[in-house]
Amino acid sequence: MSFSEPWTRAGEYVLGTLPHAERSALEEELTRDIDLQAEVDGWQSRFAPLGDLVPAEEPSSHLWEAIERRIEAQGGRTPAEVRIVERLTRSVRIWRTTSVVAGGLAAVLAVVVAIGAIRLRPSANYLAVVDRSGTAPAMIVHVDLARASVQVRSVNAQAPDGRSLELWYVGKGRKPVSLGLTSALTEPRRLPSLKSQADFEDGQIAVSSEPKGGSPTGSPTGPIVYSGRLIRTSL
Amino acid sequence: MHEASSDLPFQPSLDELQLLLARVARGDRLAFKSLYTKTSGRLFGIVKRIVRNHALAEEVLQEVYVRIWERASSYDAAVGAPSAWLTVIARNRAIDVTRQRGERPASVVHDDGEKLLLRLSAPTDGLDLADRDQLKRCLAELDEPLRRCILLAYCIGYSREELAVRFDRPVNSVKTWLHRGLASLRACFEAV
Repeated sequence: MSFSEPWTRAGEYVLGTLPHAERSALEEELTRDIDLQAEVDGWQSRFAPLGDLVPAEEPSSHLWEAIERRIEAQGGRTPAEVRIVERLTRSVRIWRTTSVVAGGLAAVLAVVVAIGAIRLRPSANYLAVVDRSGTAPAMIVHVDLARASVQVRSVNAQAPDGRSLELWYVGKGRKPVSLGLTSALTEPRRLPSLKSQADFEDGQIAVSSEPKGGSPTGSPTGPIVYSGRLIRTSL
Repeated sequence: MHEASSDLPFQPSLDELQLLLARVARGDRLAFKSLYTKTSGRLFGIVKRIVRNHALAEEVLQEVYVRIWERASSYDAAVGAPSAWLTVIARNRAIDVTRQRGERPASVVHDDGEKLLLRLSAPTDGLDLADRDQLKRCLAELDEPLRRCILLAYCIGYSREELAVRFDRPVNSVKTWLHRGLASLRACFEAV
């Protein structure tokens, strides 16, 4: 009888040999279990070169029009969302060079120490080092889900004259949710309620420059000036 | 009928695909069409081998590209190469559809196990040769039935039941083979 380590389930999932019910069950677990997702990602990466072995074949020429019709039927993306996604994508670059995303807490600390030290509070569950791409981190955002609080420690950040900096949580594929003005978050403040922890784990923090007092609309109206990805620092 | 190309297809470069995906993430339709043109042959081959039905494969391919359009903004180059990301989306959808439909009638499928493995050593343009070499080396270390099971599962979408029929073994034996194969591969990948 085979025993199933998480990685054998993940491996069979990637191979495609899990029966339908087990496959669905695993996919549901993936939304909650970061370690399992990492196992699956690992196998996907390892097996990916096999994708080149299967002979290519051109599909019928009408397929492209059919795909375009489906996309149009679902509607396009709104300009605001597109803009935020673009800025966040660019700002993630610092994470690639320092491998912070892969490394977790130890790597985050290395970055923080390198830029001249802010003491981290061990009670925080999540951390985002929010920066402008390529330069020293501007602020550090702590999110504590257990206490439903958020706090900002500013390293370098400055609001332009006559403007306020507003903090946003951008969940994967979702509209930004305001967490308040950064100037008001120097002490821990209540988090707005978010639908689930799973939503929270894939998010990014963004900071926009808004009119004094914050966005009048409930969505970012000014440019995103800083952004960073949330890293879970404790289970 | 459609000709399957027997040579490895022209591979768009890593940078080209990354650039296109970044533009697709911003809603660029022209970039999306370009991405489709460059990648649809490869993904269609993958999907069709798994679902084993031309019309169904075309249906699935449309769903795959709609997902690519929707999820392009979540693609992160730090996590993997663009072609791997596209492959994952295509295979996921193809396997989903296949498993949902339940067992297929026994179809005549050439045993491509060893032929596929040979192709791993064929020269290619601009792909990550280190990854391919390591995979090839680690697969080569497996006992033959284990290696074939893994190749047939990944490339042709064989289920445990189909593998059991193919190798004339009980399903539990095939499951053990798969687990042993995965364990060996994992140990091989981690030993470097």
